[in-house]
Formats: sequence, C-alpha cells, structure tokens
Amino acid sequence: MTLYRYIIRRVLLLVPMLVGITLLSFVLSHAVPADPVAANLGEQAAADPAIVAAFKHRWGLDQPLYRQYLVYLWNLAHGDMGTSISTRQPVLLDLRQHLPATIEISVAAMMLSILAGIPLGILAAVNRERPIDQAARVTSLVGVSTPVFWLGLVAILVFYARLGWAPAPGRLSASISPPPFVTGFVLADAVLAHRWDAALDWLRHLLLPAVVLSSYSLGIVTRMMRGSMLEVLGEEYVRTARAKGVPRWALLFRHAARNALIPIITIVGLSFGGLLSGAVVTETVFNWPGLGLYAFSSATSLDFPAIMGTGIVVAAVYIVVNLLVDIAYAFFDPRIRVG
Amino acid sequence: MGTAVKPQDITPVQPPLLRRRRLLPRQLAGSPVALLALLVVIAWICLAILAPSIAPYPPLAQHITSRLDPPSHAHWLGTDPLGRDILSRILYGARLSIPVGIVAVALAMLLGTLIGGTAGFLKGAADEVIMRATDLMLAFPTVILALVITAALGPGIRNAIVAIMIAWWPSYARLVRGLVLSLRDREYVLAAEALGGSRLRVFVRHVLPGTISPVVILSTLDVGHAILTFASLSFLGLGPPPQIPEWGSMIASGRNYLDQWWISTFPGLAILTLVLAFNILGDGLRDLLDPRFRAR
Repeated sequence: MTLYRYIIRRVLLLVPMLVGITLLSFVLSHAVPADPVAANLGEQAAADPAIVAAFKHRWGLDQPLYRQYLVYLWNLAHGDMGTSISTRQPVLLDLRQHLPATIEISVAAMMLSILAGIPLGILAAVNRERPIDQAARVTSLVGVSTPVFWLGLVAILVFYARLGWAPAPGRLSASISPPPFVTGFVLADAVLAHRWDAALDWLRHLLLPAVVLSSYSLGIVTRMMRGSMLEVLGEEYVRTARAKGVPRWALLFRHAARNALIPIITIVGLSFGGLLSGAVVTETVFNWPGLGLYAFSSATSLDFPAIMGTGIVVAAVYIVVNLLVDIAYAFFDPRIRVG
Repeated sequence: MGTAVKPQDITPVQPPLLRRRRLLPRQLAGSPVALLALLVVIAWICLAILAPSIAPYPPLAQHITSRLDPPSHAHWLGTDPLGRDILSRILYGARLSIPVGIVAVALAMLLGTLIGGTAGFLKGAADEVIMRATDLMLAFPTVILALVITAALGPGIRNAIVAIMIAWWPSYARLVRGLVLSLRDREYVLAAEALGGSRLRVFVRHVLPGTISPVVILSTLDVGHAILTFASLSFLGLGPPPQIPEWGSMIASGRNYLDQWWISTFPGLAILTLVLAFNILGDGLRDLLDPRFRAR
C-alpha cells in the first residue's frame, strides 16, 4: 500500500470514530442518574412544575433519548453544540475561547519533555546499568509518580510565594490587558497586535505550569528513548558501522539515535492523552483558563451541553493527534505500510 | 496521573512469561532499589493497619488553639487550618488510599477481562464492534472521563472507584483479548476441543485461566496509578467529604495557605513515596516480563 492510500484509508476511518465519540459522550452524560434540572435551577425553582417543564422543553429534555441524540447530531453537523447552561453562551464559542489555552500549555509541556527526555534517554542507554542510567530511571519514575497538582502547588509555594521568581498563577498579569482575540493564542495575538509586553508576560506565566505538566511525559519519553536506543544499538547495521570505524559520536547520533527516534513519535501521541488529563488538574492549580478548567466547572455544575462539547473536542483532538502520529510513523518507517 | 501509556499498549505480552515468575525473588535480591521499594510498600501497608494505635491524635480531633501550627514536637508534621494533626491524618489516609487503589484496579481488571474475553471468544463482527468501542473509550483522557462520571454520580469514595473502573477497563480488555487470541489456537486448547468439550466450556476452563496470571501481575503495576488518580479526583473535590482524611483533599486544603507550606507538602510526599515504590516494583517486573528491556 502506498503512503497516499494509507493516509486516505486512515482519514476515512476517522468519520465513524468521530460519530462514535459523539454517541459515547452523549450516552455518558445522559446514562448517569443525575438530574440536570435540579442542578441548574436550584431547589426552589425545581419544586415548581411549570418552571421545570419550561426548562426541560427549552433544552429538549422532554423528548425521547434517541431523538435528543439525533437533534444533537443534526445541530452538531451545522456547527451548533447547544448553549451552555451555566455560561449562557454557545458551547462552541466557550470551547473556542478555552481550547487555545490548553493547547499552549500541552504543547509547551510536550516540547519540554521531548527536549529533555530524548538526550536523557540516549545518555541512559549509552551508560546502561551504570549510575547515570539508574539516576535517569529513578528520575523518570519520580516524574510519573508525582501528583501533578501537588507539584504545581509546591512550585507556586517555592517560586512564587517564597522566592518571588514566578508571577502569580494565571495566564497574564492583571496589569496587562490581553491582546485582541484573533486566534485565541496569546502569543499569536500579541504578535499580531505588536504587543510584546503581553507576549513576554505570557511566557513568564507559561513557564511554571508547563514545567510542572511536563514532569509526567518527561519520564515516559526518557524511558522509551532509552529502550528504543538500546534496541537500535543492538542492530547489525550499528555493529557494521562500528566495525568500519565510524566515530562514536557519529555512530550514536547519525546511525542509532535517528532510527531510535521513530518509536518515540508514537509515544508522544499516546502520552498526549495523559497530558490532557494532567492539564485538567494543572489548569485548576495555576488558574490557567483552558479546557480543563472549563471541563471541571461544567462537570461540577452538570452542564450537559458543555460536558458533551468538551468531551467530543478533547477526544477528537486526541484521535487526530494520534492519526497524525501514525501517518508520521508510516512516513518515517516504510515497513508499516506493507501489508 | 492517568493511564495514558500503559505497558500493554506498547508491547504485546507473551504467555510464556508466566514461567519466568520464578526469577522474581532473585531479581529483587539483585536490585537494592527494588528491594527498598518493596520495603516502602510493606511499611505503608503496616502503617495503614496500625494507624489507630500509632497515630498521635485522632484524625478528626480539632485543636482550635493550635491551628496552622508548624511542625513541632507536639505535632511532628504540623496542623491544618482546623487544628487537626497532619501526621495522624496522613496515617489514616493510607487506610483509604491503598484499599481504594487495589479495589479500583481489581474492578477495572474484572470488567476488562469480561469484555475483552467476550470479544476474543466471539471473534468476527462482535469482536470488531467491541474492540472499536474499547478504542473509543481509550480516546477519552482518564481524568476528564472520571471527572464527568464522578460529577454526575455525585462525589464520594464509591463513585470515584466506579469512575476509575469505567475509565480503565479498556486497556485490560485489550490485553485480555490479545491473550485469548494467542491462547485459543494452542495445542492443549485444540485437544480439549477434540475431546468434545463445548466451545464455552473449553473457553472458560482452558483459555480464560491462561490469561489470569499475566493480567493479575500487570494490574498490580497499576495500583500506584490508581492511587494517584483517586488523589487527583479527591483534590478536585470529587472524592470523599472533606473531613475524611484523604491525601488529595488534604493537599487541596492547603491551597489557600501558601505560608503554611506543611499542610500540602507532607500529604504530597506520602503519595509520592507510596506511588513511586509501587512504580519501581512495577518497573522491575516489566523489565523482567518484557524481553525488549532485558539485558541483551
């Protein structure tokens, strides 16, 4: 199968996956024995049948479940995810405002863990079973075992409250007016508006939560890079290269590391889900106005349209990221396409 | 954090690994780090069991006169905003976190075995449908899924466990299905079929038992993750009610007291040591089971 056909097949498979996601998030948010009426109207209003009936009719809660789903799907196809019960805004608009913040923090954390994890993994593999390897192993295990919310609090405690090096939690300082909303990404918007003060302030705010969030994926990337590097170093072509006198650094970086990087692409995609999970708690600790904070507040107020919208978007992001990862994998490793 | 990358997602588990279990004690003896981790886990279990007799104060006792006390001789790890002794609450917290982690993983494993086993048994279209549904479940990040479930069911210990179970069964389902598919063509299974055993009987008596050991071994590795996820939910206010000593909610109670660092720091260290010990043990086990990581 050519790469071209492989990509088309994978993209076509995306459609049933996405429909499945909408169904699943619909079922999840409706199959639970919670009463959105009571949650949103408060006890007093929920006791009045007229108000309840009006509320149910307004949100279509008085129709059979399958009808509710079909209506939802129809609206979704037209770009309408309903109106959030708590913010009274279209869910799509809410998501549009919150998603960029989550992408900022997740991508920054992923970049940090790749930049640190790959050299660390190579170092560990080259020094296998020596103290440096053990240290890298324990470091990565500590990263996976540390509660992100605790690490965030301790980081705020030390770098903000004690040392005063980091700014107060949030995405921008209160004294800085946010740049006009164009893309939703502070950096891009600041550059578009030539607001360098905002860009710099954003970067200062981003650093701490990104480092905290990266602790988890750093461990995974290091661990996988080590394993992958060890595997490649055992291959015959590496032995051949060594036998013909290739210098050690060239052997490691030009021959081994380049091939060892291929499986890492997959790990980056898979650990993206964990990263998004971590983003939820990191965002609440650092008051970072992303999807995690939005999901948390809509889940606690049983805001069903918002919960479903968030679930669909997050799962879709995860699936698309993994699709891109698989395509990249097929691109770099032709063996995948065969068969 | 959640279960984004589990060993079973990355490498297939080969059934013959069962026979290598005998290496385990030798491996432990050869690795001081793993031995230390084992001791830490055992120590935490002992502390949890002995908490009522060794905790210096009752976990709910409030000493209004000694609110927010820093670590001292009277309160080794200080007191919280209600004047409760943090050391005592941490010790009692272990009595909750360890069983919750084990129960959540056990339930996810049972559900996953049931669903994955069914898929592997039925094969064909049913298998395809079940496994695609499993993939879909895996696309939802654990904490967001658990967040929605606990929020909808209402906060509480039981609902947090249910949430972890629902979020985690898919990875076990995948694992069990893979094992079932690799076992069902074995000669001893064919022999049982040739002897006239019905499909279901052969499956339940001969195929399924073969999956139990690797699944149980691998699930013990996840207890640490489960404890961490439970603490996360609890931190977000979706765990037990605040007066119950629980590590995640203890950390949350220190959020607004940045000058009283001990409130959040010590419960976090409790989580870190216990989860790290579980993960080091699991890591050693994984090396042993996964030939890719073993010494060449």
